[in-house]
Amino acid sequence: MQRLVDILLAFKEYVILTFLIIISIILLNSNDNSQIRAIRSYTVGFVGAVQDLISIVPNVFALKRENEILRQLSVNLSDEVNRLREARLENMQLREMLKLKEKSQFKLVAGEIVGKSFLLLRNTITLNIGETDGVVPDMPIISEVGLVGKVIAVSGHYSVGQIMLNKDFRASSKIQRNRVDGIISWDGGETVNLENISKTQDVREGDVVTTSEYSTIFPSEIKIGYVSKISERQGSLFRAIDIMPVVDFASLEQVFVITAKVDSERVALEKKVMPKK
Amino acid sequence: MGKHFKYLFFSFIILNVQTYLSPLISIKQISPDLLLIWIVYIALKEGQFTGIIWGFVIGLMFDLSGGLFIGLAAMTKTIAGFLAGYFHGENKAPLTLGSYRFVLIILLVSLVHSVIYFVLFTRGSDIGFWKAIFQYGVATSFYTSAVSLLPMFIFGRKYLT
Repeated sequence: MQRLVDILLAFKEYVILTFLIIISIILLNSNDNSQIRAIRSYTVGFVGAVQDLISIVPNVFALKRENEILRQLSVNLSDEVNRLREARLENMQLREMLKLKEKSQFKLVAGEIVGKSFLLLRNTITLNIGETDGVVPDMPIISEVGLVGKVIAVSGHYSVGQIMLNKDFRASSKIQRNRVDGIISWDGGETVNLENISKTQDVREGDVVTTSEYSTIFPSEIKIGYVSKISERQGSLFRAIDIMPVVDFASLEQVFVITAKVDSERVALEKKVMPKK
Repeated sequence: MGKHFKYLFFSFIILNVQTYLSPLISIKQISPDLLLIWIVYIALKEGQFTGIIWGFVIGLMFDLSGGLFIGLAAMTKTIAGFLAGYFHGENKAPLTLGSYRFVLIILLVSLVHSVIYFVLFTRGSDIGFWKAIFQYGVATSFYTSAVSLLPMFIFGRKYLT
């Protein structure tokens, strides 16, 4: 305090000058006529310029508060961007699915994957569509790019699908280029196997594999994948052919169930003539 | 304390002279600022601090007697007292007051004072910025300096002989 008094005394001329000028300005501003109004505008301009000059010196507390607000805003915007990105991807996916639905000859029911169970060799997905949507077991599940699997169980509003990457899954298939038939199965790994293709058949890497007409569950011409590897089995008449599925099961979110009923007459006849296991 | 009563008394006298006599000696509405000469005298004799305070008091007295812009003369004459106080020196007042140095100080202080006063005084009127500076501010300063020759000679005779 004493130090402050000493400083004020050391600069007493400047202090008193400032003080008296401020008093004069206050007195001037208490007048009210056109000339004083003009002078008042100069005073306001001067005070504004001084405040502008002072504002160059950063206010630490204001900066801290501003920083907090900006950080919060950044988090909110980041969240908003993520949600928009999500919506964009979903939009793209749904557009693709819509295209498929429009060109598909089958009646399709769209469903969303609400659960995935990738346990050992029996992988399944849970869909948010069930009996109320017309879904029954053995109906094929597809995506906009190709075959996913088939329905194996249903409840009122949910259904469980067995995907291609399941050791119990089988599907009649063919190589699109030359109609060579085989059966799709899976015994682990990223690829599925195309079984029953003899060594004499013409199969090339890159060949497209689709479902065949022989299946009682899957309509024909649904894309399954591409031949990714061909190898010879020692002491066997058949080749080992790996098929890379076109569906990316890890990122799969939206699917369709083809609500085509199984041709019961055909199934009954086949059961009648075929020997029992 | 007594000298401050003396200053107050003479301030009233000079204020009245300024108010009633100045119109008689004005040339084209330009009058000498007798109060300013008085403030410079006080500041040179007593120093900057006293000059500032008496500048404000005398200016306020002038404002209150005129009643037009209360605060304007108080502000400009405070600044005048501050500037004049720079030329104050211990035991140098008689030398300064009795020489042309006094007139030059009056001219300098009056230029600053009158320019500020008339620029602000003429705002909001038809008188332009430069006209306010040269026709009123500068002219008043020279007239005031010319009039200050009279007290300079008086102080010269009083202090230097």
